[in-house]
Amino acid sequence: MDNRFGLKDLVLFVLVVAIGVTLVASMFQKDRMWQQLRRIEAKVDETRTRVEAIASDAKRAANQPRVASPALSEGSSAGATGAAPDRATEWARPDVPIAWQPPLAFSTDPTSQPEFRAGGEFTEIWEGKCARVTPYLSTDVYGRRVLDLVCDQLAVFDPKTLALKGVLAEAWQYAPDGTWLRVRLRKDATFSDGKPVTADDVVFTFKDYILNELIEAESVRSTLDMIGDVKVIDDRTVEFQFSKVLFSNLAVTLNNYILPKHFYSKFEPSQINQSTSLLMGAGEFRLAALDPSRQWNPGDDLVLVRNEQYWAPGVHSPIASMRFKTIPDERARLVAYRNGDGDMITPTAPQFVVAQQEPNWDKENRSLKWFNMRSGYSFIAWQCGKRKGERLTPFHDKRVRQAMTMLLNREQMINEIWSGVGSVAKSPFSPESPASDAAKKPWPYDLAKARALLAEAGWKDRDGDGVLESEQGDPFEFEFTLAQGGDIVDRIANFVKNSCLKAGIRCKIRIIDWAVYTDMYKARDFDALTMAWQSSAPESDIRQMFHSDAIKGGGQNFMQWSNKDADELMERGCKTLDTAQRMQIWKDLAAVLHEEQPYSFIRVVPWIRFVKSDVGNVQTYKTGLEPWEFFRPAALAPTG
Amino acid sequence: MLAYVVRRLLLMIPTLLGITLLVFMLLALAPGGIGAGLTASSGQVDGSKLALQQAYLEDRYGLKDPVLVQYGRWLARIAPIKFGTPDQITLAGEHKSKPRAIDAPPLPEWFPLSDAAIAARDAATLKRGVVAAINETEREDAQRAYRRLETDYVSSRAAYRALTKKLGDELIEYAIAQQISGVRTSHGDCRFDVIATTPAKRDASNWAAIEALATQIDAAYIRALKSYQLIDVAFAAKPFREAGVAIVPAVISIGSPDLGVAFSKGRPSSVLIASALPVTILLNVIAFPIIYLIAVPSGVLAAARRGKWFDILSGGLFVALWSIPVVWSGVLAVGYLASNQYVGAFPVAGLHDSLADSWTFLPSFRDDGAFERGYLLDLFWHICLPVACLVYTGFAILAKQTRAAMLDNYSADYVRTARAKGVDRGTVAVHHVFRNSLLPVITVFVTVFPATLAGSIVIERIFSVPGMGSLLLEAITNRDRELVLANTFMVACVNLLALLLADILYAAADPRVSYE
Repeated sequence: MDNRFGLKDLVLFVLVVAIGVTLVASMFQKDRMWQQLRRIEAKVDETRTRVEAIASDAKRAANQPRVASPALSEGSSAGATGAAPDRATEWARPDVPIAWQPPLAFSTDPTSQPEFRAGGEFTEIWEGKCARVTPYLSTDVYGRRVLDLVCDQLAVFDPKTLALKGVLAEAWQYAPDGTWLRVRLRKDATFSDGKPVTADDVVFTFKDYILNELIEAESVRSTLDMIGDVKVIDDRTVEFQFSKVLFSNLAVTLNNYILPKHFYSKFEPSQINQSTSLLMGAGEFRLAALDPSRQWNPGDDLVLVRNEQYWAPGVHSPIASMRFKTIPDERARLVAYRNGDGDMITPTAPQFVVAQQEPNWDKENRSLKWFNMRSGYSFIAWQCGKRKGERLTPFHDKRVRQAMTMLLNREQMINEIWSGVGSVAKSPFSPESPASDAAKKPWPYDLAKARALLAEAGWKDRDGDGVLESEQGDPFEFEFTLAQGGDIVDRIANFVKNSCLKAGIRCKIRIIDWAVYTDMYKARDFDALTMAWQSSAPESDIRQMFHSDAIKGGGQNFMQWSNKDADELMERGCKTLDTAQRMQIWKDLAAVLHEEQPYSFIRVVPWIRFVKSDVGNVQTYKTGLEPWEFFRPAALAPTG
Repeated sequence: MLAYVVRRLLLMIPTLLGITLLVFMLLALAPGGIGAGLTASSGQVDGSKLALQQAYLEDRYGLKDPVLVQYGRWLARIAPIKFGTPDQITLAGEHKSKPRAIDAPPLPEWFPLSDAAIAARDAATLKRGVVAAINETEREDAQRAYRRLETDYVSSRAAYRALTKKLGDELIEYAIAQQISGVRTSHGDCRFDVIATTPAKRDASNWAAIEALATQIDAAYIRALKSYQLIDVAFAAKPFREAGVAIVPAVISIGSPDLGVAFSKGRPSSVLIASALPVTILLNVIAFPIIYLIAVPSGVLAAARRGKWFDILSGGLFVALWSIPVVWSGVLAVGYLASNQYVGAFPVAGLHDSLADSWTFLPSFRDDGAFERGYLLDLFWHICLPVACLVYTGFAILAKQTRAAMLDNYSADYVRTARAKGVDRGTVAVHHVFRNSLLPVITVFVTVFPATLAGSIVIERIFSVPGMGSLLLEAITNRDRELVLANTFMVACVNLLALLLADILYAAADPRVSYE
């Protein structure tokens, strides 16, 4: 039992100690190398900043005659050639008007603001894990936020007017009959590695990337099925041929990220499919290190740095780097934001209301709430046809549907369920969209009127038990289907149930998993259900929700609502290329939907954000936010 | 002993089969079935994208096949012994399997194949084996040709599939008008076999559309067959290296198990596990020694002072800690200990500070004299709260177990003998009783540690730790079959091995146990 400490033990002991000491010493050695590296890096940075300053001075000097004051340039263009912007039209088809785009500019110029300073980092905390940021493979909202910063599109929606605004496109020609689109690229546009953006890149993006079946870009591919062909006309001009004429063709085509052919053609489709961050574009930001063999690991922070070689003169983002963190737990997210670990979060609706009641909240934080083109809406859909093709529900009668809308106090619903965040929806168009008719109001909450309408439709309490019956004596009873989703779903269910009870309607609640929700509505196996649509453009093609063609084949018209007027309006609207005319058609359509109520429109979902007060130039736009225009007044040591 | 180990190892195979079959069936029986989460993962859906995307995924992952077929396919991939034509591996490391054949168009009873289609089908089956020899210099070209043919094959297949789906939609319309019931599957697709049993009603309102689609399908089928034929020949020419080692060429080969691609993330499951596992192991490697260092000595002391204040106090405290749910304490820890409004002593989430990548490994002073935590210390600081949550519930069981084992041995004869012959109390406690009480404590470790590899879902979620628990939770919410199976398969393997190890250790530690 009693072991003495012998020679063998001594040797072992010494060996172990020696290994330990060597290990620690090697760590120190490594750290010394690290520190040395840091000093070198700092020097390189300094040198680079200086070189860049000199380069930009040189550029400015070279550009001087061109960017003189507008009045001057106008005057001089009459005399001197070459001073005016290059408006040559040899690329265009004759006799078709050309939509020339103004030079790229800030929507709200941060440099003109009092505390402006360049540099610093901006951190956003995401609530869900972003799976990947490879263009077109990323399908979540987070991926889109990153891609908007890293990849420029041909054109985007103007944040203030929602009109299309050329980014990489200097001009375009859209056929009056809508069958083709010719796009002219800007001369100076380059990718973040300095190589120019050419027509070849555009064709590659569409034909060899998005429309390539081997690449898992199915979600985008299915929206671009109207593209018949993409052709190179010359180095800076491409032409799209459309196989279908739709009002949305122009926006949907121009709104795609243009990818560098010389980068993406290096990879096989399977490498692209499995990548997390094969990400390069012509945007304001880029990945700090673009190393295909060591890609970003979802769950880690994603860091973008400013693209110092951004091609558009004078519109460099003031922010030097963007960091995106992920904290899935909502309480932890708010605590992290408060601790200063992040500059922006999307709070939950109750958090948004509760946090603002704290003293000094407004001093340190901005609480933003606004509607924009991406605001979706939630609704209750009523089964207008036969459930599962077998049984007619009470909702086939439009008077019943109107009554259902009127017996729901949607104002109160929003206040009680979503802490008052949101407003009552009235049509499928976002209130910010020009398609929305400001004069039209949603149906009021009016229990008496609802009862009257129900009575008119034959639903009366015939046996005095408080429940309405039809003429045949069947009680008014329906099943309300919701997707599992915690607290809020329970509250919606209870609210609807109680509201129905007041009008003498029995409502049974069925809560099912999201995973089976699509199967359920594809089989039309419901009486009423609630859902929300989100949108990604000022006007979307709503035929897939309301056109009677979308009833068959598991289409999105799951309430099986069919209306000749609406069908005709939608068909006409989708082919009308003139914006003003089309808007009028959409307004007419909204009126039909208002009268028919296939949906009870419940709530327009606004965007809500908390942003730290020490971030400058935070503007809420009709397109959302433009983080590349932010700046940090308090940021120290500007680097660029 | 060797025979025993071999027997146990062989017994593991049916056990693993049972476990995976159970998990597979649970996934299949869950509402929506396998891969249901692919199509809808949030409360808001962008409607325009759903239908086609779903058809694409179904075809790609074979989600429409019977569950047992899918399970069989999964087993074939996971098994080290492979049957049939082996996969080929591209230079980029991608597995290319033999191209899948094209199914015949639906409803042959109504719309018989055209002669051209029959000719194309026969050609596609006969063509096999007619393969030109390709030498090394041509290999490069063969690869390029394969890629071109593959693109062609995939797109023609997709076009054919889309038309078939459209025909199904029209037929559902038709069936409703003709009052044929039961034509919809639970996924809302058309059941062609039901329709085929009824006579075709050529006066139906959408008959023209159905007929037109059938003609289009015939043409698309011919095109798909032709491209399949080409790709099949190109594949048989072996443009890439064959995977595994062939035992009987083209019949049996041995290859590495393939855990598949997680379809919610589009990345190989093995890569995802490899990035999540170290995090979980790190947390547990730190948590376990802490549990042992506190619980075992307390158990020993409690046994030695049975019924005294220490026994009661430590027992009470540990049980009290054990009964606090982590869901609650974790949230409190974040809300109070991590929030700057209150204590603010700990970070809220993640494993590293934003700046940690630019720091040295060890704590150091920067050139300007400011202290810098360093990467290592920063990591420890970040995992303080998660580790604390992992640890505090673990004391009770281990301390109680140690105490019980100690008490058992205290009352044993050999202890009385030792005391009687004059060995002092401390020596008896440490040398006799404690040593003999360690056996169960060791086996607790061997059996519990592998289980923790599955990660603690609650803790990892509250503290935003990207470990195995988070991965599994995501996989389950997305119904990501590949990832869930890869996860459970791995954990099951480790568990079974650990159980075997525990039994072997028993024999090694206790001479009374023998497996001969």
